[in-house]
Amino acid sequence: MRWLTNPVVQFLAAGFVALVIVVLATSALSRDAADEEAIHDARELTKVLGRSVAQPAVPRGLIDGKASAIDRMDWHVLDRLLVGDVRRIKIWAADGTVLYSDQTELIGAVYPLDEEELDALRSGGTDAEISDLSKPENRFERELGGDLLEVYTRITSPEGEPLLFEAYFASDQIQQQREEVLDRFLPISLGSLIGLMLLTTPLVLLLTRRLARAAREREGLLQAAVRSSDAERLRIARDLHDGVVQDLAGSSYALSTVAARPAVDAGVRDELDGVGRSLRTSMRSLRSLLVEIYPPDLHTGGLAAALHDVVAPLSAAGVVVDVDVSGGETAGDGAVALVWRVAQEGVRNVARHASATRVSLTVHREDALLVLEIVDDGRGFDTAVVPPEDHFGLRTLEGLVRESGGALEVESAPGEGTTLRMEVPVG
Amino acid sequence: MKTSHPLTRVVAAVAATSVLGLAPLVVAATPAHASGGDDDRVINTGSCSSGARWKLKVKTDDGRLEVEGEVDSNRAGQAWGWTLRHNGSVSARGTSTTTARSGSFEVERKIVNLAGTDRVVFRATYAGQTCVGVVNF
Repeated sequence: MRWLTNPVVQFLAAGFVALVIVVLATSALSRDAADEEAIHDARELTKVLGRSVAQPAVPRGLIDGKASAIDRMDWHVLDRLLVGDVRRIKIWAADGTVLYSDQTELIGAVYPLDEEELDALRSGGTDAEISDLSKPENRFERELGGDLLEVYTRITSPEGEPLLFEAYFASDQIQQQREEVLDRFLPISLGSLIGLMLLTTPLVLLLTRRLARAAREREGLLQAAVRSSDAERLRIARDLHDGVVQDLAGSSYALSTVAARPAVDAGVRDELDGVGRSLRTSMRSLRSLLVEIYPPDLHTGGLAAALHDVVAPLSAAGVVVDVDVSGGETAGDGAVALVWRVAQEGVRNVARHASATRVSLTVHREDALLVLEIVDDGRGFDTAVVPPEDHFGLRTLEGLVRESGGALEVESAPGEGTTLRMEVPVG
Repeated sequence: MKTSHPLTRVVAAVAATSVLGLAPLVVAATPAHASGGDDDRVINTGSCSSGARWKLKVKTDDGRLEVEGEVDSNRAGQAWGWTLRHNGSVSARGTSTTTARSGSFEVERKIVNLAGTDRVVFRATYAGQTCVGVVNF
């Protein structure tokens, strides 16, 4: 599943999700737009049919239900009214009587008009709604199948009476209009999005490669810095060991020899012995410094021994230290060196800040990881408010650990000690 | 709501004289009959006042009534005026001329099949002769 973290894969996945969202949104919007357009068209057609075709053709006597008027209506206008998607027409009197319908069984029947229909009859407006096929006046429309859109508008009889002209439209038209609108908009939405992705994918690919290269270069620089630091430390340590330490050793030896001569006065001997002790103390301090400046050969001397040297100052200061090291034998040089460096920095922090009485340092393997843990019972600190300079050494090492594919965590709270945990791949 | 079953049809053979006061004009009208088959139809025939014959046929057709009125005078070239009344009001009127070969003319119209009984009256006149056919469907 490593490929999931690839920025290009993530970009393409995000693009695909955006694509799906755009398709769904476009479909919904197209459906709404198509419905609106279909209803608008149906209203306009109903107005035209009602006022230009039906109204001029309404014969005198239709309002009274005269059979001859109904016949003439049927002869003259039916073919001109049932056009396009119009599936049924009805002409109503204000009292709800069906004066005419192409469904002749309805003629003469009375179904009270609802409020919207009465409003259209009074105001002369046009209204549209999906037919309620459960109503008895719409029972014949059930056999037409599917949803119907009924639109009504006012017309006037030759006698001057307001009538309600109602046309029923098949939902096929709405569906067809939805598809037409979708066909118009979807290619634009999808095309632009796909085009954008096609344009940006190479850019993302290029950017990702540049970032990866920059990361590799940064890692290389870090490693080079570490190597040069190691070389410098080695040079300093060697110079100190071969120069100053040897000189001090020689001087100490010479002083001891001089002080041992019988001719030397007792007072002078004591002074010489004191200077000799001081020189030996300085030598020990210098040797400790040498160990600190440059790590011993960890593989030759063993990581455990090196870590014991690291914690030696703590032990000397009276802190109870437990060291338990395992799993370092088969680990790579880089991982072992990193463990030593982080342990050195961690122990240094304990010595400086923790005021601990007990410290535990463990190294062990967890699958393919080498894990270092330093736990102390010191005063701890609030990790959120620690000044950055206090942990500068660890922060630097944290970058190094991360570059090596590992992780470094510090958990602490005031009065509860501190736990440092580092994981690094053994390879 | 009108049923389409033939047995419920109200079929009338009309002695138009009593209804329309045309005693000398209409001689007789034969009883109507409902034909068999799928569609409902009623055919009435009768005699006009001066020897001509009339026939009035009504049958259902998709919510409508197809009405065929015919007058046979055996004389070609006569221009008959006619009216078709539906439930008492005039649905259609016109003039037709008897044809050369049969000496008859025929009028065909569709009217709406309304709820209840539809009364169809076909009346034709020519030179004082009157034919009246009625079907209650």
